[in-house]
Amino acid sequence: MVWPFSQSDLFRWLHAALVTLIVLFIAVPVAVTAVMSFNDASLIRFPIRAWSLRWYLDFFSSSQWTQALRNSLEIAAYTTLVSTVFGTIAAYAFTRLRFPLKGAFYFLVMLPLFMPGIVLGLGIAIAFGGVELFGLQLYGGKALVVVAHCLWAMPLTFMVMEATFKTFDERLVEAAYDLGGGPVRTFFEVTLPMVSTGVISGALFSFVISLNEFVMALFLTTRDTQTLPVLMWLSLRSAGTPRLAVAAVVLAAAVFLSLVLVMLWYARHVRKLR
Amino acid sequence: MTAVTLSEARPARLRVDGRLGQFALLVPALALVTIFFALPAIYMLRMSFNAHEGGQSYSEAWTFANYLRLLTEPIYLFSLGKTFLLALVTAAVTVVFAYIFALYLWLQRGWHKLVFLAIALCPLLISEISIIFGWWMFFPNNGVLSITLLQLGLIEDKISLMYTVFAAIVGLTYISLPFGIFILLSIFDGIDRRVLEAASDLGAPPLKTFAEVLFPLTRSGIVVAFSQAFVWTIGTYATPIALGPDSLWTIGLEIYQQMNTWRDWPFASALAMVLILLVLGSMALTRRLTGRDVTHHV
Repeated sequence: MVWPFSQSDLFRWLHAALVTLIVLFIAVPVAVTAVMSFNDASLIRFPIRAWSLRWYLDFFSSSQWTQALRNSLEIAAYTTLVSTVFGTIAAYAFTRLRFPLKGAFYFLVMLPLFMPGIVLGLGIAIAFGGVELFGLQLYGGKALVVVAHCLWAMPLTFMVMEATFKTFDERLVEAAYDLGGGPVRTFFEVTLPMVSTGVISGALFSFVISLNEFVMALFLTTRDTQTLPVLMWLSLRSAGTPRLAVAAVVLAAAVFLSLVLVMLWYARHVRKLR
Repeated sequence: MTAVTLSEARPARLRVDGRLGQFALLVPALALVTIFFALPAIYMLRMSFNAHEGGQSYSEAWTFANYLRLLTEPIYLFSLGKTFLLALVTAAVTVVFAYIFALYLWLQRGWHKLVFLAIALCPLLISEISIIFGWWMFFPNNGVLSITLLQLGLIEDKISLMYTVFAAIVGLTYISLPFGIFILLSIFDGIDRRVLEAASDLGAPPLKTFAEVLFPLTRSGIVVAFSQAFVWTIGTYATPIALGPDSLWTIGLEIYQQMNTWRDWPFASALAMVLILLVLGSMALTRRLTGRDVTHHV
């Protein structure tokens, strides 16, 4: 192995020690939360004397918390759908077309990703706060949260897909046209399967971002539509109980589960390609 | 003759409706960012010149009062300064941690590398609120840190690091660390590792190798990682108030306060404009320093 500081064992050990510290730093909040979720006491206290699943039971029997979880999953699902479709088709056209202001288009589409959630949330809240659509109040509804989350998720899928389409062999599309395939059919039967890994990764990013986001959701939801991270934040600000630890574990489990599903899909996909 | 017309006619027709069709594919994405980001941003810009009187959220006006208030009242100037400083310190700590970790990752191979990649990915997959909650149980009097140190006999009395600037920086660094690691790793991966061998063969001591070989090669990555962490911290809302002292009142918090407690839309908008300017400013600066766009480099 090449080691930059191979002459000096001191530096080598120092580097390893620092990396260990960073790993510990990353592990601390995760470990503390996971351990606390199995606490039996009604308060957050250390050291933990008795273990139980009581707070898991409490979480899943509370209609307020399960409703928040359902809201989160629903909003994340729609965000994934919208941002993946919009990001993918835009990236497809973007890599194939040359047009004036192409750089400006890229900048505009990517910019929201770098904007603080509080700015995006405020903008949408004051611009759409009083807007009614078909007699329905937009503000406080899930649709507005979905578009807000898309402002972060879509640039990401666009970026991933742009990189994917750049390496895509254009001659395959031409071959499909020569064989009589129309643009739509060619897109679904030739192009899309070739870039499916990019699409799935983009979708995963979108899902995770939406599931975890809470500043925009805090601005845009009401008691009925609030997401799990919003409810967690509000409950942390009043009084933390071990229920919060369970909520954090449930949220992480949802993310982890989607990651595992994607990896299983990827394993199957690779096998199929062989 | 017929063969020629066929092969010429088909691509021509395809090119025309194909091009138009392809432009149509750009429309949904463009519409989304225009309607829900660009137009609200322009609306906020207009709103920031409105007045706030009586019980209404705003009244139509053209005034610089909001910006003057921001630049003359000490509490807002302090808040702005503190947010700026907090973002600078967090970005610096993030870059140092990310550099150490990315350098290590770069030198690993096989499953070992995969494990460390997974560890680096971890903070990215966890919600900010869960991260806050984790540290919220670690730092206080009766938290994990205090109890552990007490049981190890390292301290006599319980200690608390909760509600300190240190705790806030720990939380913020945790959030921006994975971005820093991946940005720097992408730079490291483009470097030929034999330059290190060459440096050590020529007898360069480790610090000299870093200063004269590694640092110049990774300079742009350091700038982009710093800028990224700065941009993500400058608009922070939750972490500083949950882990830091009450005096650590950031611009993000002030915006929320102005919006939800005082219903002062014009002033909240002016504050948001300052944040947007800071983000754009640091992006422009990064571009000047590295010749790269931050947007090309997440």
